[in-house]
Amino acid sequence: MMFTTADLKNLLQVWAEMMGKNADFLIDLDGIVGDSDLGLTMSDGFRSAADNAAGSDEADLGKTAYGAGKAMSNAVPSTMGTLMASGLMAIGKKFKGIESIEDSELPEFFQAYFDGVQSRGKAELGDKTFLDGLAPAIEAMRSSIAAGEPITETAVKAAAAAHEGFLATKGMLAKHGRAGGRGEQSRDILDPGAAVADLLLQGFKSFIETKGK
Amino acid sequence: MKKIINDPKNFVPEMLEGIYAAHPNEVAYVNGDLHCLVNARKHPGKVGIATGGGSGHLPLFLGFVGDGMLDGCSIGDVFQSPSAEQMFEVTKEIDQGAGVLYIYGNYGGDILNFDMAAEMADFEADIRVESVVAGDDVASGEPLAEGKKNTRRGVAGIFFVYKCAGAAAAKLKSLDEVKAVAEKVCANVRTMGVALSPCIVPRVGRPSFELAEDELEIGMGIHGEPGIRRGKMISADEMVSEMMDSILKDLPYAKDDEVAVLVNGLGGTPLEEQYVVYRQIHKILDSKGIKVYHAYVGEFATSMEMAGFSISLLKVDDELKELLAAPVDTPFFKQAQF
Repeated sequence: MMFTTADLKNLLQVWAEMMGKNADFLIDLDGIVGDSDLGLTMSDGFRSAADNAAGSDEADLGKTAYGAGKAMSNAVPSTMGTLMASGLMAIGKKFKGIESIEDSELPEFFQAYFDGVQSRGKAELGDKTFLDGLAPAIEAMRSSIAAGEPITETAVKAAAAAHEGFLATKGMLAKHGRAGGRGEQSRDILDPGAAVADLLLQGFKSFIETKGK
Repeated sequence: MKKIINDPKNFVPEMLEGIYAAHPNEVAYVNGDLHCLVNARKHPGKVGIATGGGSGHLPLFLGFVGDGMLDGCSIGDVFQSPSAEQMFEVTKEIDQGAGVLYIYGNYGGDILNFDMAAEMADFEADIRVESVVAGDDVASGEPLAEGKKNTRRGVAGIFFVYKCAGAAAAKLKSLDEVKAVAEKVCANVRTMGVALSPCIVPRVGRPSFELAEDELEIGMGIHGEPGIRRGKMISADEMVSEMMDSILKDLPYAKDDEVAVLVNGLGGTPLEEQYVVYRQIHKILDSKGIKVYHAYVGEFATSMEMAGFSISLLKVDDELKELLAAPVDTPFFKQAQF
């Protein structure tokens, strides 16, 4: 199977719905350490990304992702908004000039997202961030594909790994943002950024399920 | 809150409308956005220099856009970063084919957005962009060291970075050369501030922190970030001595070294008091055999109506002296060749 520009547009819609449905969950999580605007930032941000992609007749996969990322960065220029936009824009750069990729290349799609966020935010794995939710999912995706499993199975495993990764941020010491200012106390809380990664992979799973039908 | 404003939410656009109306031949805005300010005069073949940051610090940042200094500035709400898109619009406008240098202060939101703007410039417009991030406040992080991330905030010392890089660009130096000048200034400039009273962000409507009538805070940042010591009021000479001590220790000086000095009022401190401050700085430098090449006294990087001042010292060599002496003409800062 292929992942096309049309699929990207659908995936962005699923992500926008996912963030919309979970806005309150993110607000509560972020309210413990941040200023509780994460839920709104993510639902507004992914909504603007999805709307931008839906409204464009661009056939190029990369340019579509880049445009969606840019729309997000304009809509929500907060730290997390800019980071998520950077991920989409990095996908854009990586896949500029092509209209589809093989399903087996999807780990590279998420890896580009990861790299975009990391190079912008300069966090390392284990710093209790978004990256700690996404990294295990990419790893799970790679091993599932290497084992020759169908993409539906790959998506289920990636989503489970992202959720595990999110839960594992409890116990980590935060080094960035407001949570980073709390030192040892930050260990007791779940990272809201990793929750966003979890939601992205839950969204990816439901996108793949729907597509298979 | 007692301020000369209309609706607080229109504070920044109304301030900008005033600036464009007052200086129509010197500054203009691009993309129909008041927050994207550029020099109205173009200089073909010159490296473009852009800065940006939140409002509330005039003359910083936009006030240094003009001949001999900066080419463009993106402007955020009070103490808020402008967006990457706004920075990108400025970048496109000021590129004269020689590339663009971003010079801005070391703050998280600004770094994220300038990095993203540089990426847009590369991806969408094939403009080469380099960045220099100024972090000169000795009160806000460990001393600079090779290979270590600078955690210090950017404050008034960025004026010297703009001045020297701007002069280098005006001489039609290449992007790499202008960047090297900016980095050299960053490596040789140190600043420290003191606050006597807080400021009020119009949309917030109340002071950002409390400071009792008889208290001061040494090392406070230009957005009211915590300093290194809060204490009872002391004399001007005592304040200056304490601050100079930290500054001179941070970048060691030898006898016969030369410096440029910047005394910067934070918005609510009269020039008279600033000259009382300069007097003591000059005495201390004299006593150590450090020569003053040039002194600037006035408002360069304010924090709304905050009372207080900062001291910046730039250690200069022949190259930096020549660049400092070059003429500048911006709406907020003019200097004849000296």
